[in-house]
Amino acid sequence: MSTHPEVPGEPTHTTTALLETATSAIQGFGPINKIHQHLCAFHFYGHDMTRQVEAHHFCAHQNEEMRQCLIYDGPEADAKLIGLEYIISENLFMTLTDMEKPLWHSHEFEVKSGVLFMPRMPALVERQDLEKVCKTYGKTIHFWQVDRGDNLPLGLPQIMMALTRDGQLDEKLARDCGKRFGVIFDKERENRAYMKGPEHGIHPLANGAGKGLQTKLREVDCKPTESVPRVFV
Amino acid sequence: MASSDKTPQGMPTSESHTPGTPMKAGQHVLDKGAQMLQSLKPVKQMKQHVCTFALYSHDMTRQIETHHYITRLNQDFLQCAVYDSDNSDAHLIGIEYIVSDRIFEALPPEEQKLWHSHAYEIKSGMWVNPRVPVMIQKPELENIAKSYGKFWCTWQVDRGDRLPLGAPALMMSPQAVNLGIVRPDLVQKRDDKYKISTDSLKQSRLEIPEPEWINPNADYWKQSFGKGFALDIEPTEMKLKAPFP
Repeated sequence: MSTHPEVPGEPTHTTTALLETATSAIQGFGPINKIHQHLCAFHFYGHDMTRQVEAHHFCAHQNEEMRQCLIYDGPEADAKLIGLEYIISENLFMTLTDMEKPLWHSHEFEVKSGVLFMPRMPALVERQDLEKVCKTYGKTIHFWQVDRGDNLPLGLPQIMMALTRDGQLDEKLARDCGKRFGVIFDKERENRAYMKGPEHGIHPLANGAGKGLQTKLREVDCKPTESVPRVFV
Repeated sequence: MASSDKTPQGMPTSESHTPGTPMKAGQHVLDKGAQMLQSLKPVKQMKQHVCTFALYSHDMTRQIETHHYITRLNQDFLQCAVYDSDNSDAHLIGIEYIVSDRIFEALPPEEQKLWHSHAYEIKSGMWVNPRVPVMIQKPELENIAKSYGKFWCTWQVDRGDRLPLGAPALMMSPQAVNLGIVRPDLVQKRDDKYKISTDSLKQSRLEIPEPEWINPNADYWKQSFGKGFALDIEPTEMKLKAPFP
């Protein structure tokens, strides 16, 4: 189950808050102003399907074939930024090397099962966009394991995966989410039955090429080693 | 399967824009509709834009200008969406978390190794809030000077990747010595764009107190005489709840 552990720290000082009111009024927020869409879906850890997270995506289009999304653990102002996802068309996915493809997951099942949704969007409008999302692939990385109660972003980045068939999604997680957003996933599944996934079918190398994925840290010599003096100031 | 310190083979590379067809009118309409109906609250909490520099921990000769869009969760914690420019078509290249020294000291040493200090970045004038008058920036700079950051880069645009490839890379911060020195031409380019002078900013920040102590577990390359970290993504047995895929 997702938890929302509280981040340690003092409440924001008034002076700091005032300063931020000023900066937010004066500065430009170009890349952020492009974020136009809120999408909710479920991710699980690449090495552990039993650990699942309700992921709130805030997405911007780079172009018709690519989106970049910030992922939060909820839709509220105090939500934690827990990761990001890149979404690409099937065409772009096919340009990836065979080493890269496994890091990307398919979206067809999530969309067609109804569990991927856009809060507050009228279903008809939502479906127009989801028809496209249905054919795409995503690469999701999480940095903050809120589901295990971490109140800070500890440890290594995690490659996340998406649902690919019935039976994977934790029922309680799904019910809880559906209730909060007033969504009946099964009903949407019926409405989305007409949608089609990738033209060439889900690529066999996507979704970890059928295996789990885990990240490991490795210590290396900073390049270029010759220029690193043995005595540091 | 993938490593943050290995160049991906066989991918076309260039400095140009992300591959893909331009947005169709229909998509623009859908986006506008969503923007009007959905509240996008977390995104509206980004109240600061900062321009600074970062270095790859596995190869500190690779240095990038970064644009942080920052949300404060409380007095001791910031979360930043990091882009490679401040243009609306900027690439989302990673996420940085920033914590106060108090929070940092409570982290286990194994975790602290992944973080970098900010004192030099602030004092040197590298870290700037574009367009914000110097006097307004000052109080926040004192906070940041004592903080530590953890920054993972997920899109290595500087090596020509046209899509986000490979494993996330751990980043380090500018420092005064050795591997931490940022190339002057990179700084000059930034300064020219914003019509500022990092050197003048450095002068104006002389009074910002140096932290009494910078934890030696941060900035790992210093203590370890030039070691960094790479991240590998490896296949593994997935713990299952149901068949996969």
